[in-house]
Amino acid sequence: MEPESKKRKGMEYDPDSWHVLPVLSDEMSEDVKLVDAYAAPITDKRQTSRLVKALSVLHPLADLQHIKRVRACKDKTSPHPLEVIVCLVDDVTIAGSAAEPRGPALTDLLSSEDFNSEGLGEPFLVRIPARAPLTRPQFERASRHWPTSFHEDKQVTLGLTGQLFTFSQKAKIQEYMTAAVEAARSGRKEGMDAAGAVIVDPKSGQIIAVGHDLTRDHPLHHAVMVCIDLVAWAQGGGVYRYEKHPACRYSAPDLGQREASASEDQPYICTGYELYVTREPCVMCAMALVHSRISRVFYGAASADGALGTKYKIHCRKELNHHFDVYKGVMSQTCEELTRLK
Amino acid sequence: MYIIKMRPDSTKNDVKDFLQPSDTELQRWMSSAFTMAKEALESGEVPVGCLLVYNNMVLGKGRNEVNETKNATRHAEMVALDQMLDWCSHRELDPKVVCRNTVLYVTVEPCILCAAALRLLNIPLVVYGCKNERFGGCGSVLDISSGDLPHTGTSFKCLPGHRGDEAVEMLKTFYKQENPNVVKPKVRKEVVGPAGGAISTHTEAAPLEVEMEN
Repeated sequence: MEPESKKRKGMEYDPDSWHVLPVLSDEMSEDVKLVDAYAAPITDKRQTSRLVKALSVLHPLADLQHIKRVRACKDKTSPHPLEVIVCLVDDVTIAGSAAEPRGPALTDLLSSEDFNSEGLGEPFLVRIPARAPLTRPQFERASRHWPTSFHEDKQVTLGLTGQLFTFSQKAKIQEYMTAAVEAARSGRKEGMDAAGAVIVDPKSGQIIAVGHDLTRDHPLHHAVMVCIDLVAWAQGGGVYRYEKHPACRYSAPDLGQREASASEDQPYICTGYELYVTREPCVMCAMALVHSRISRVFYGAASADGALGTKYKIHCRKELNHHFDVYKGVMSQTCEELTRLK
Repeated sequence: MYIIKMRPDSTKNDVKDFLQPSDTELQRWMSSAFTMAKEALESGEVPVGCLLVYNNMVLGKGRNEVNETKNATRHAEMVALDQMLDWCSHRELDPKVVCRNTVLYVTVEPCILCAAALRLLNIPLVVYGCKNERFGGCGSVLDISSGDLPHTGTSFKCLPGHRGDEAVEMLKTFYKQENPNVVKPKVRKEVVGPAGGAISTHTEAAPLEVEMEN
């Protein structure tokens, strides 16, 4: 007969049964914002480069460096092959334009006497992306309105399609999350909330601390706070005692052959470490992770007041002095079941 | 560059009457908090002082213990909250009842971590000196004190700006003193590290910045 743990692995915990997704900043996850602009057809293709130069002097579009000034006309039956952005609607004030149902004339937009508008057709209104796209989905949506440049972050693209981690990396993530789930179950047996956490040194693959919720003992001892203090114990510090809770444990980091005296090799709070936690941390725990300089966080289930995606995204606040990557959805079914244990 | 802005004095606040400290009380407790902050400064620690007052009794006092504990969450407020919880457990009092009637006096706006902890414990009122522009959880970076967080305890009121200039001056003095330490981020048991402040690993990149962790 197969041992219980192995059976579980095969049935309950298949790394292909869950998807891990990055929790991106609002900037990266929001919809593309648009701004009104006037474009005009280029009726004489040979004038294109001259027109682009002259227009970028007259209307430089300084905040829209991502916008490609000229686009190929979408409609293949169109009499003109190219279209060009003339200016933003806000760049021009046109007297009496409201009374003009067809919108402004080209001369209204080119308020310079020496502008040679040869080769330009009558302007029309378009909506163009207000900011440079940061992710591939944003780029794809933006491009439907007007062509933009895009500096792709391949990691983000892979992350968003759920392909950032290979099967073997997911198996490793699952191994750590399983330890967090088991800690949560141990805590639950003690009458605590079913939440568990593990802190790992990814360089060695070693688990530094395992903790679970201890709020029956102390109202602020959420699983993450317990783990942070256990890491402190592993480094010769620490504040609280955990003898009554055998599932809460730590091990000193293995410094290997490196010279222990070299200061850069000494672990310093949670610098470089990863956290695996069954549920999304609250504000207190999320900020504790900022102060502790965690490098990455993986969580299973979202929390109603969660601060790493749900209510706040404390891991990517520009004002704060430390930022980290957050991934959600790890063993989501198992972790969500834990949150339902009341 | 560290810039601390002051919120204009606002003493009118709809805090429950029984908790609203009288001017004399407020000055007395804040004066204690400032004395603590000065002591911290003199011993090279982050100059933040705080006390938790319940029924005219001080249940908790704290100063930053980040370096000695190697735990970045050991801010003055967290230390004081632990003392208060110990006080409750020794007397077998329900911390919830005690916390609901406890006021925190602190020289600097609590950070996001501490503000969330104060919510989780249902502390109803915080009197503080100057703003914490880098980590403040009562409006400077995030407004955790009054945020819509139904599963994170209860919101609390703030009375900011009490002797704020003085609190800022102490922080500035601290940063001037501590700057030379920041370039050597070595923190050892026997070496008293750059007091509570320098838990940054990015100190090499920004030697003029000192973290304010409270």
